[in-house]
Amino acid sequence: MNKNYEQLIADYISGNLEQAGKNRVEELIANGEIDFTEFRELEKMYDDLDTISTPKPSDELSTRFYTMLEKEKKAKAKSWSEYLIHHIQNVAAEITMPRLAYTVVLLLIGGFAGTLLNNNNQTQIEQLSQEMQAMKEMMMVNMLEGSSAADRLKAVNISTELPSADTEAIQALLFTLNKDSSVNVRVQAIEALKRLGDNEYVREGLVRSIAKQESPIVIIELADAMIELELKNGASEFERLLQEREFDYTVEQKLQSSIAVLM
Amino acid sequence: MDSTSDKALMMKVKKGDLDKLGLLFERYNRPLFSFFYRMCKCTDTSEDLVQSVFERILKYRETYTGDGKFSTWIFSIARNAHIDHYRKKQREAVPVEIYENRLESEETEEPEVINKKEKKELLEIALDRLDDEKREVVILSRFEGLKYKEIAQILDTTEGAIKTKMFRALKEIKDLVNMLSEECSYE
Repeated sequence: MNKNYEQLIADYISGNLEQAGKNRVEELIANGEIDFTEFRELEKMYDDLDTISTPKPSDELSTRFYTMLEKEKKAKAKSWSEYLIHHIQNVAAEITMPRLAYTVVLLLIGGFAGTLLNNNNQTQIEQLSQEMQAMKEMMMVNMLEGSSAADRLKAVNISTELPSADTEAIQALLFTLNKDSSVNVRVQAIEALKRLGDNEYVREGLVRSIAKQESPIVIIELADAMIELELKNGASEFERLLQEREFDYTVEQKLQSSIAVLM
Repeated sequence: MDSTSDKALMMKVKKGDLDKLGLLFERYNRPLFSFFYRMCKCTDTSEDLVQSVFERILKYRETYTGDGKFSTWIFSIARNAHIDHYRKKQREAVPVEIYENRLESEETEEPEVINKKEKKELLEIALDRLDDEKREVVILSRFEGLKYKEIAQILDTTEGAIKTKMFRALKEIKDLVNMLSEECSYE
């Protein structure tokens, strides 16, 4: 039989054909191209297959299935907790001695680098601070050379903000103390130099300055500075000053008391 | 997608809701058992194979994509389970003599009843004598109600080839039944 007819009959018997397909089969049967007897036998036999019964599965099948399902559910629930434990174990297992050593080395390098950076920062800050100080000193020196007493006072005050001063700044302050036309500026210069009393050059400068001073205010201020800084050399300078000049009684008493302290 | 459809249930199983497999088992354990039983004629083996199908579904649930009909997918698994089983163990053919002896032993029943039983048993014998490929097509189409297109997908062939195979399987059954009937009538 033609293969197309075979497929057509298979469709017809199983009820897959639309009306047009059924008409086509009937036409072929009518034309004798499909054997009607055989077609009817196949159709009947197809229906008769329905009589073949199949036994039911036993209850055991259900029991087995649901036992398996429960087991799988438990395994799944367990697998989550196991996964977590396994993951933690894996992480722990990976921390071998070389890795641990490597980690420690990295930490140390990190710490060192951090400290170094910190030090660098500190160095930079110190450098910046030094530059600031240098600028202040330069500004102070320039201002001390200025014509305005107010500016020179400001300059001396700036010097009090300096934790230390270089030779140029000290020289500028001593020059101000010895040469400035304003008593107030000179007095303020003494105050500024007292802060730098640890410097030998300042100490010597202060002692030498006694002989160069005209103003009793400045001399008394220097006397206080000598006591404060324990500049015993100042005593002889004050004695010489008392011998060479005449001061009013208050100043003379002040200087003698100062000499007595310094001696 | 209907939340109770086979596909929806299987997608839930895939996502971890394993209880939904119970619903699919209730829907498919009998069609699968029927398929296996008609293929091997052994209740125990059929039950083992049904169990095997659901074990495979659980094991490979992550691979379910939801493409195509669920019935096509599950019968593909069933067919593979059947093939794997018989690769290990040769299928034991049911001797025709058993049925013939059974026919002889039921002679005390009414002639019409015997006639019906004879026809049914001859059909079973004829079906069993088909080669596996043809029997498979008849079972999936006639007993499991699958479309030729679906069977073609399961057997990885064309729909036309399945229709041709179905026609030839039916013709062979018819010829076998006629032959067996003649043999019985001579006896």
